Amino acid sequence: MPDASPTDASDPAASLSLSAPERTVLRALQTAPRTPVEEEALANELSLGPDQVRGSLQRLRAKRLALLEEAHPIARLITPRGQLALQRGLPERRFLEALDRAGGALTPDAAAAAGLDEEERSAAIGILRRRGWLADGVPFRRTPAALPATERLPEEVVLGQVATGDDDVDEAIVSALERRGLVRTERRSVKRWSPSEEGRRLVIESEGETLIGPLTPAVLASGAWRTGRFRPYDVRAAVPFRAAPHPNPYAQWLEEFEEILIGLGFEQAEGPLLETEFWNNDVLFMPQDHPARSLHDALSVVGVSGRPPSPELLARVAAVHEGVPMPGETEPVGPGWGTPYDPGIAARPVLRSQTTPVSARLLALHPTPPFRRYSLDRNFRREEVDARHGIEFTQCEGILGADGTSLRELIGMFGALSEAIGIREMKIRPSYFPFTEPSIEGYVRHPRLGWIEIFPGGMLRPEVLRPLGVEVPVAAWGIGIGRLAMIALGLNDLRELFEDDLDRLQGVA
Amino acid sequence: MPQSVLQRDRVDALLPRALSARELEELLFPTKAELEGQDGDTLAVSVTPDRLDLLSEGGLGLCLQGQLEAARGLPPFPIVDLPDPAIAFDVDPSVAGLRPAIAGFVVASPPDRPLDTGLLEEAVRFQELIHGTVGRDRRAASLGIYPLERLSPPFRYTLEPIEGVRFVPLDGSDEVGGPEFFERHPMAARYGALGRAGASCLTLRDAAGVVLSLPPVLNSREGGEARAGDRWLLVESTGTRERAVRESLGLLSVVFASRGWTVAPVPVRGGSPLEGDGRPVVAPRSIVLPSALLHGLAGVARPADEVTQRLSRARLSAHPHSGGWRVEVPPWRPDLLTAVDVAEDAILAAPLRPEDGIVAPSPTQGRRLAAARFRRRFSIAMLGMGHAQPYTSLLVSDAAVERVPGARPLRLLNPVSAEFSSLRDRLLLSHLEVLRRNTRHSYPQRIGEVGPVVVADPAAESGATTRYHAGALVASDGAGFADAAAIVDALLREVDVVAVREPADLPGTIVGRAARARVAGEAVAELGEIRPETLTALGVPVPVAWAEIDLTALAPLVSVRES
Repeated sequence: MPDASPTDASDPAASLSLSAPERTVLRALQTAPRTPVEEEALANELSLGPDQVRGSLQRLRAKRLALLEEAHPIARLITPRGQLALQRGLPERRFLEALDRAGGALTPDAAAAAGLDEEERSAAIGILRRRGWLADGVPFRRTPAALPATERLPEEVVLGQVATGDDDVDEAIVSALERRGLVRTERRSVKRWSPSEEGRRLVIESEGETLIGPLTPAVLASGAWRTGRFRPYDVRAAVPFRAAPHPNPYAQWLEEFEEILIGLGFEQAEGPLLETEFWNNDVLFMPQDHPARSLHDALSVVGVSGRPPSPELLARVAAVHEGVPMPGETEPVGPGWGTPYDPGIAARPVLRSQTTPVSARLLALHPTPPFRRYSLDRNFRREEVDARHGIEFTQCEGILGADGTSLRELIGMFGALSEAIGIREMKIRPSYFPFTEPSIEGYVRHPRLGWIEIFPGGMLRPEVLRPLGVEVPVAAWGIGIGRLAMIALGLNDLRELFEDDLDRLQGVA
Repeated sequence: MPQSVLQRDRVDALLPRALSARELEELLFPTKAELEGQDGDTLAVSVTPDRLDLLSEGGLGLCLQGQLEAARGLPPFPIVDLPDPAIAFDVDPSVAGLRPAIAGFVVASPPDRPLDTGLLEEAVRFQELIHGTVGRDRRAASLGIYPLERLSPPFRYTLEPIEGVRFVPLDGSDEVGGPEFFERHPMAARYGALGRAGASCLTLRDAAGVVLSLPPVLNSREGGEARAGDRWLLVESTGTRERAVRESLGLLSVVFASRGWTVAPVPVRGGSPLEGDGRPVVAPRSIVLPSALLHGLAGVARPADEVTQRLSRARLSAHPHSGGWRVEVPPWRPDLLTAVDVAEDAILAAPLRPEDGIVAPSPTQGRRLAAARFRRRFSIAMLGMGHAQPYTSLLVSDAAVERVPGARPLRLLNPVSAEFSSLRDRLLLSHLEVLRRNTRHSYPQRIGEVGPVVVADPAAESGATTRYHAGALVASDGAGFADAAAIVDALLREVDVVAVREPADLPGTIVGRAARARVAGEAVAELGEIRPETLTALGVPVPVAWAEIDLTALAPLVSVRES
């Protein structure tokens, strides 16, 4: 198994090893006065066989140390028959010469006697007649148009050019000479080599020299590095996998959201995840027989027992629930729920179902304004788990409280938060929460999902504030932050927020 | 959110004109009702839990009348005299221990429009919805509707021997005896326990001895079947909670009030918690709304006329009163308890606009808690040490607990599933699960997370404390105790403290290869090598080193550098 540990001893990079012939060839390339060098010339220069040179060059190329330029020039060559024609003259030349020697009229027999065999004679007659240089009939005679004997035939000129390697030839005549078997055309492959930039820079150990491998403490201490040369590494070789953990995307997104709140002047607050029913419900004016408090909806824990809060606070909250005046007061805060308050229920432990108890605890502890607090934390509801619902979910609770705090300030805060997450369009509609009145819900328009409910909130009821000793209006809101995070992170399933795939967490997948 | 399917024609009949789907949706947006869907004949409507009245065609119609400004103020629901002064509920003391509260009213149809099938069906449908909500499935309150003209008042509510009860159930045609009814009838199987005590059951009879109903189970056919053409109806509610009884009656009254019926309270006699002339059940209540409260909540002072208009549009009746308004609220608005509730109606009667919001300068300096900043340092440090950062749930599975013998997390009394059944007391329980889910990936694997755990604590108010741990696992060829110790040492160096290790037997670890680390004598960390049985069960093929620091314990022991 590959070791991906960043803290384990580091493996040396793969050494860049060269065979002796490769070193020889590369050195020749590095020292050549002019590059590229033709492969053939290189083979001739080095005391290595052509195959060895060819193989070494190809391997150097694979190691990106040598660069190849390959050309395919055209070469025209004189055939043996062409050589013969060069020596003896072309058949048509020899035929004309024989005609001239015969006094202007040449019989077939005289032509044979002049050294022209049957094939040459036929070819010469055919060529001369096609050019109109030979009159019809026998014996053969020149026409007036025939070339004077002193002038060279075009074929003779071109044949001579080919023989001397002159490429500036009449291609049509070359083709005709090819058809006559006097000239042939070859395509050659010419390989020219030069060192790559890396090849040029590469340090090559000399005969008997030992290059320095890993830079070990021993090498450092010995000072060998002052005089020695370092063995180069193959910087392109595959290396062991190294994990690069990223911050958890969800946790990071939550932190970024916190930064927005902090920028708006909110201080963080926290509370216990296992609460008593008093803090989770009673203090928030949730009737003790509310269906949402039943075992069907709230998660209870076995093996622990809670206790009510201070007797003073308990008495005040009990009075509010029962609709009687709080101790020391003459008028009830409101009509209450009309049922006897049970302190035994208040003491029952329950997993927190919302973050509002955190705010309630805070207000009970510090009832003096101003308040601008947030709590971004886990909560629990007894839900079947699916793509949209989870037992454990994160909520972002906030409270604003000071002289003059109003619903307008809450709406303004919704606007500021939605703008901070890049959503500008918002609308407000009435809502209901047991502990706020008025209660509202902010909807924002998401470019892909349309209108979605994001910001539930309202003004805390007097039944909540008065028992806690708070004397200013307090606005409260609780955002289902998981939903926002899903949108921001492009997720379709709430469960993906609890990411534990190591590849994804390490940025591999 | 409570929801119901309403008959569209019954809503339309209350409106000055037919509404398109879009108009209906827009009109409902600033209310607490929402149109969930519709077809030609029906409307699927949901409401917030405080506005159940909007789940009746009558209640929704009244609301839409206000939105359309077709009608304003409190709908007329005149209180008239009872047609027979003998009408009353006589409550026998025997009901006190079982279902003591009873109240009711009589409603009379307009002369030219007696009860029709549509109204009766609407009332019965809404009655069932009330049973399921305010009535807490009839435990707190249940309603009954009776044909008054065929009954002989007064009506006696009592607990009597089941043996002596004989009646024709509303859904049957044959007379049955009480024992047979309670033994066989499906409604008795469902609600019988709420209306019987031993060999006795609750009955509501008229003066002639006719059984009206066996509260809260079922009406009788003879005395409890209202029909089209009836002009006078008796409506009652029995229950264990007075408030639920009052609220259920008030809510149901909207069905009749919206159709121009009149109402007469029915006196209750003989020791019921709701004993009296019955008037509070049906009469509008009066709530004083101080202008300072309204303007303070709204954040804007509105002219008195405008407030009156807004309340009128919300189908309430408002009159100037010293320093505010006296607001009359109808019986079908039990959500209006105090002045703040009425203030909400005044504020929300006109649409709220985002541009009305204000962002006041912050009087406070925003910041994280010192404890959170402290925890964050460990999170960053572990990330820097190459630990991948999962985000794991506090709730762990039965399997996660079982694979760490000795772990004793708190268990849920009522888990939804075995997958989320316990509250972890150490991150190890979650982190081993992470390793199990990643066995297909290469090793080494390093994970690290700062997260909450919950541990029993008799001194804590809820019996348990939420603590924050920094937990790390290293799974690799050659991982061992030294790795765990090195992690603890490195993390503690983050806060300039040094821990002393001592041998410890810790859940899930190899005996002799686990330790507890202390700072200034306080246990702050646990660490060790995970036992091979656990690794084999997880399918992890390499050794695993574990370290977990209790940051809640550590924080008070160090002088925190502000990060």
